[in-house]
Amino acid sequence: MSDKKKVIETKKIGRIFKNGEIEVHALTGVDLVIEEGEFVAIMGSSGSGKSTLLNILGCLDKPTSGEYYLDGVHVNSLDKNQLADIRNQKIGFIFQSYNLLSRTSALENVELPLVYDRTGRFSNPKEMAKKALEQVGLGHRIDHKTNELSGGQQQRVAIARALVNDPALILADEATGNLDSKTSIDIADLFVRLNNAGKTILMITHEPEIAQFAKRIVTFRDGRVLTDEIIENRSTKESALRDLEATAQ
Amino acid sequence: MRQLLKTFKVAFQAINKNRTRSLLTMLGIIIGVGAVIMTISAGEGATQQVQDQISGLGTNLLIIQVKEERRGGISVRKGKELTKKDYEILRDNSVWLEKVSPMIVSGGNAITSQGNKTTIIYGVSEDYFSIMSRDVDLGEAFSELDVQLAKQVCLVGKTIKDELFGGESPVGRTLRIDKVPFTVVGLLEEQGQVGMGGDQDDLVVAPYTTVQNRLAGSTNFNVFMASAVTEDKIDDAEVEVTDLLRESHKMLSNQEDDFEITTQVELNEITGEITGILTILLGAVASISLLVGGIGIMNIMLVSVTERTREIGTRLALGARESDILTQFLIEAITLSAAGGILGIAFGIIGNQIIYKATDFYIPTAGYAIAIGFGFAALIGVAFGYFPARKAARLNPIDALRYE
Ligand SMILES: Nc1ncnc2c1ncn2[C@@H]1O[C@H](COP(=O)(O)OP(=O)(O)OP(=O)(O)O)[C@@H](O)[C@H]1O
Ligand SMILES: [Mg+2]
Repeated sequence: MSDKKKVIETKKIGRIFKNGEIEVHALTGVDLVIEEGEFVAIMGSSGSGKSTLLNILGCLDKPTSGEYYLDGVHVNSLDKNQLADIRNQKIGFIFQSYNLLSRTSALENVELPLVYDRTGRFSNPKEMAKKALEQVGLGHRIDHKTNELSGGQQQRVAIARALVNDPALILADEATGNLDSKTSIDIADLFVRLNNAGKTILMITHEPEIAQFAKRIVTFRDGRVLTDEIIENRSTKESALRDLEATAQ
Repeated sequence: MRQLLKTFKVAFQAINKNRTRSLLTMLGIIIGVGAVIMTISAGEGATQQVQDQISGLGTNLLIIQVKEERRGGISVRKGKELTKKDYEILRDNSVWLEKVSPMIVSGGNAITSQGNKTTIIYGVSEDYFSIMSRDVDLGEAFSELDVQLAKQVCLVGKTIKDELFGGESPVGRTLRIDKVPFTVVGLLEEQGQVGMGGDQDDLVVAPYTTVQNRLAGSTNFNVFMASAVTEDKIDDAEVEVTDLLRESHKMLSNQEDDFEITTQVELNEITGEITGILTILLGAVASISLLVGGIGIMNIMLVSVTERTREIGTRLALGARESDILTQFLIEAITLSAAGGILGIAFGIIGNQIIYKATDFYIPTAGYAIAIGFGFAALIGVAFGYFPARKAARLNPIDALRYE
């Protein structure tokens, strides 16, 4: 297994937030290696630093200490434009709070990453955005404005937006947080299929049933890694639906 | 290049998606620019009109008046009246005066079969018309003989023609001033409104002899109007008139003049001061409208800054470079300011036309007013549209997303 490429490698990453006199140690000495093709669930209680880590991994924030390598590239020493291009080409980020543009249609929101693509590798942005929306089951809602969609639908638009530029790494911050159990299972299954197709996935979740779809679970407490285990008995869509029915009765 | 095209599209989409915000921003600019153009142009128009009027009096005019002293707002006549003898001395002995006309001013009620009107009657000599550069449109001015014989003839202004003769030619018709009948021999050329002053066409001009005998009951004069032989001899003429009048009034060398002479040059200075004050006042009004427009825009921008900062955060998170954001916001700002500026200019010009139509007060739209207005639009647009965006674009994406 160790001969595989390391997609993510962090060395003693720390993140301290300063609010005047008060210092919050959101992350302390996090060492994490994630290889190509992995599917990792990140768990931990609220405030344990999960989002903070994912933001750093997604090049949206910078660590206050430690080193971060992405695909072997030393991220700490990249300039702003290089970081922007990495976010655009390599990473699909799903935010805990969606961050969709208001008064803008689902299609246009999903198209957005393609607007900032400088490689010219996509020839038909509209068509690609449409396909991404179909992938998350929103093919019939492409012209709806953000504010005309339910919370769960908005979440799925955010997921489609993260998939549209075909990134190698998907970072999902509670992608199923606002969905009912049935839809959550659909999304988890979508992640499994994307993972099978070769994408590396990191997803934060509070729900053990959803975490069970991943190959590995990392749990956090107080900004440190608490446990890091391989999952023996992975859920599948069928097993999860069966369990769901069993609990319903 | 491709990226720039895409950014243009993004910017226009953003303007279109936030129509209310865009319109309100433009409204601020339109009001600011329009108001600046209208106020500055009005100031210019008034200044120009007053200057035209003054220079229309002729450039070598001298006005000789009995000295008056103001005491608590009341004018008290200090010197002797100007007499017929004074007039004859100036007329016959002066070298530097070309012409001189005495003037006696009297109020009165002008009556015709079509109505009556309180107006001003100027009693003058036949030289008055050339001294004041006042042309006669219909008929002709009265003659020296008419003055000598104190004939009951007069010329009227356009307002009298309109109000007392139903707009028809008054020449040959009769006009009574109080109980005295006059035959109208001419219609004076229209002068129009002086900037803020009264109607220059509401007057009757008659021989001073007639006015003295039949209306005023006085043999003295209020004013002499005179013209110097040439413009550069105005000062010589002033000295000469002073000497002649002092002699005529038998004044001792230590006595102060009991009359006052105002020349065209001094008139120009006075009007320059007045219109200067006018321009400053209008400038103040314009600045206030700029301020109002600017505050309006600032409010809209402040209200939307949270939303826009988050939008910038989202775009950055999805891979926009700082330069993409800056270009987008610059295009938005320039588009809105330019559109608002152009509409504001149109608004200002149309406003000027409307004022012209409604009041006959012609306002030339000043070129530099347009420039100031447009400069203001650009400044506001860039200051309030671009700089907040630049601040946001420099944040970490996550900080822009979390902005509150
Ligand atoms: N911008 C910030 N400024 C100050 N403190 C912050 C900031 N962001 C996060 N924190 C703090 O860092 C800690 C970790 O926050 P984080 O958002 O990573 O938690 P989390 O594990 O994602 O929690 P949740 O499950 O509720 O989303 C918290 O104590 C939080 O208050
Ligand atoms: Mg979180």
